Amino acid sequence: MSECKRDYGDFIVLMGLAGFTLWYLLDAIRVSATPQNLLLILPLAVIVLAIIALELILRIKHGSLFRSSEEEPLHKTLPVVGLFAAYVMSLEAIGFDIATVAFLALFLILKGERNWLLVGGYSVVFGLSVAFFFSQMLPYPMTLLLLPS
Amino acid sequence: MIDFGAVGQSFDLLFSNFGPWLVVVPGIVLGLIFGATPGLQISMAMAIFLPMTMYMDFIQAMLFLTAIFTGGSFGAGIPAILMNIPGTSSAIATAFDGYPMARKGQHNQALGVALASSVIGALMGYVVLFFMIQPLSYMVLRLGPAEMFVVILWGMTLIASLKGEQVLKGLIAGFVGLLVGTIGFSEIGLARGTMGQTYLLDGVPVIPAMMGMFAASELFKLANKGFIVESADARKVKVSEIFEGCRMAMRYPVVMIRGGLIGVLVGAVPGVGSSVSNLLSYIETKRRDRDPDSFGKGNPKGVVASEAANSSSEGGSMATLLALGIPGGGATAVMLAAFAMHNITGGPQFIRQQTDVVYAIIFANFAQVFLLVIIGLLFIPLLANIVKVPMRYLIPSVLVLAVMGSFGLTGNMTGPATVLVFAVIGWIFRHYGYSVPAAVIGMLLGSLAEKSLLHSYQISGGDITYVFERPVTLAIFALLLISLFSQPVMKRLKARQEAAQL
Repeated sequence: MSECKRDYGDFIVLMGLAGFTLWYLLDAIRVSATPQNLLLILPLAVIVLAIIALELILRIKHGSLFRSSEEEPLHKTLPVVGLFAAYVMSLEAIGFDIATVAFLALFLILKGERNWLLVGGYSVVFGLSVAFFFSQMLPYPMTLLLLPS
Repeated sequence: MIDFGAVGQSFDLLFSNFGPWLVVVPGIVLGLIFGATPGLQISMAMAIFLPMTMYMDFIQAMLFLTAIFTGGSFGAGIPAILMNIPGTSSAIATAFDGYPMARKGQHNQALGVALASSVIGALMGYVVLFFMIQPLSYMVLRLGPAEMFVVILWGMTLIASLKGEQVLKGLIAGFVGLLVGTIGFSEIGLARGTMGQTYLLDGVPVIPAMMGMFAASELFKLANKGFIVESADARKVKVSEIFEGCRMAMRYPVVMIRGGLIGVLVGAVPGVGSSVSNLLSYIETKRRDRDPDSFGKGNPKGVVASEAANSSSEGGSMATLLALGIPGGGATAVMLAAFAMHNITGGPQFIRQQTDVVYAIIFANFAQVFLLVIIGLLFIPLLANIVKVPMRYLIPSVLVLAVMGSFGLTGNMTGPATVLVFAVIGWIFRHYGYSVPAAVIGMLLGSLAEKSLLHSYQISGGDITYVFERPVTLAIFALLLISLFSQPVMKRLKARQEAAQL
């Protein structure tokens, strides 16, 4: 990756963490401003904000506020993250069994598997076996479309 | 200190019939499978099979549950080494060097190192338990909430500063993790940070969050790779190399003994246990090593330190359970339920009145450790085949197991949703160099830290000078400061020396 290319992601993450800390502190104060409630949260939040400020100062000092990460760019992995999110969100809607089979098949296709027998065979056998195993082992009801619940 | 009459009676209990031993092998196998499967927990295996112990006598029930515990402690290290996914939080530090060893094609050796260290660690834990059960329980009783709080802070600081070059980011991740760990109802009944969501009232589900941050986020990172180990030669599973790994572990007796002792002591502290002991042992080994920079890059000493400590923690946590009736974690909590099912209450009274039973449990665990060697060696080649599976098959399969396992932990969609949210957070953290282990340990210990601080506040009446009357608290606090500032100071001194030499 080019040295001069700016990456705002790291800065945004740092600001996100500062934002969460501030929001959580204010929420805790809103609930109760007693010492018993804020005993840990207040000093800890102040320390976190102070460390974030120090990190920013050091980066400005070293001219690396928007430095780029050496890791693989995030956008290359986004389709996988998106597929996983869709899988989790579809579990209740279409059933754990169908959602699992579909997720496995789509993942294999996304990552370049072109042997359709393997795609279909693996996703159906593994997906249904896992869904069946967990539905039998767990004491909670699981939404299933094909398998007996 | 040792009641030899009770020792004789314990042998009678164990060897008068074969009954107690029938459950040991199935217990170890179950522990290995549940420990080695990301998403399934040792405590989950023990809880699922707890009803079966109703039909066993007390000794048989304890042997069955401790066999699952022993098998699971080692099993959790297998995915940590092969996939960088600790099966449980007790194998976090195993992944630090075990996984880099696997990436270098030394997965067989790493598994061998882990097996030998686990076996010796567990053995040490029970030997110490045998000799020290009474003094150890006395020591644990002396730790008040103030000491517990500084122990947690010290542990957090050590974990956060693991990534030498990014200490500030490590501290941010660890302390934000501590804050996240306090979300939900506090000890005094106030709900913070729930955003009006009822499923957050009990706090963020920590184990699904841990699965997301460790397992799923790492898998996202690996999504564009072909195999865990790219070289085809390096993917071969060789029993001879596993043995070589076992021998490799024996080259570091000091690391092993230190890890074992840390494991027993930390394991005896309720609520801390093996989750912290493996990290403390790892950090201590790295700190004392001549070449600390080699850690995190596939140094077998890191695996020895972690596995010896997490396995010996079992002995420590059993001490607390037997002597005080307090469970140190999920697994011993299930054992406590087994105690109740058999109308037995742990505590000093139990130790005095049923010393033979206590010794029988300890001796049976010596035998379990040796059985683990045999069963572990038989199972490792089967489980080590994971490295031969192409990533495009492995990644979605493990993600599915994590999602199903998280559903099993919460019983509703909160588990899978938590895995998803924390997978994305973990993925971003990894990308920008924030310490994922520090954040996870923070989440695990957040509520305990707040509870300890609140109890100290209540005991002292809010008087800060109370701390100055607690020498142990002050000593641990001094250690915290030393561990926080020693690294940068040493680095600066080293740089100055090098500059002077030039």
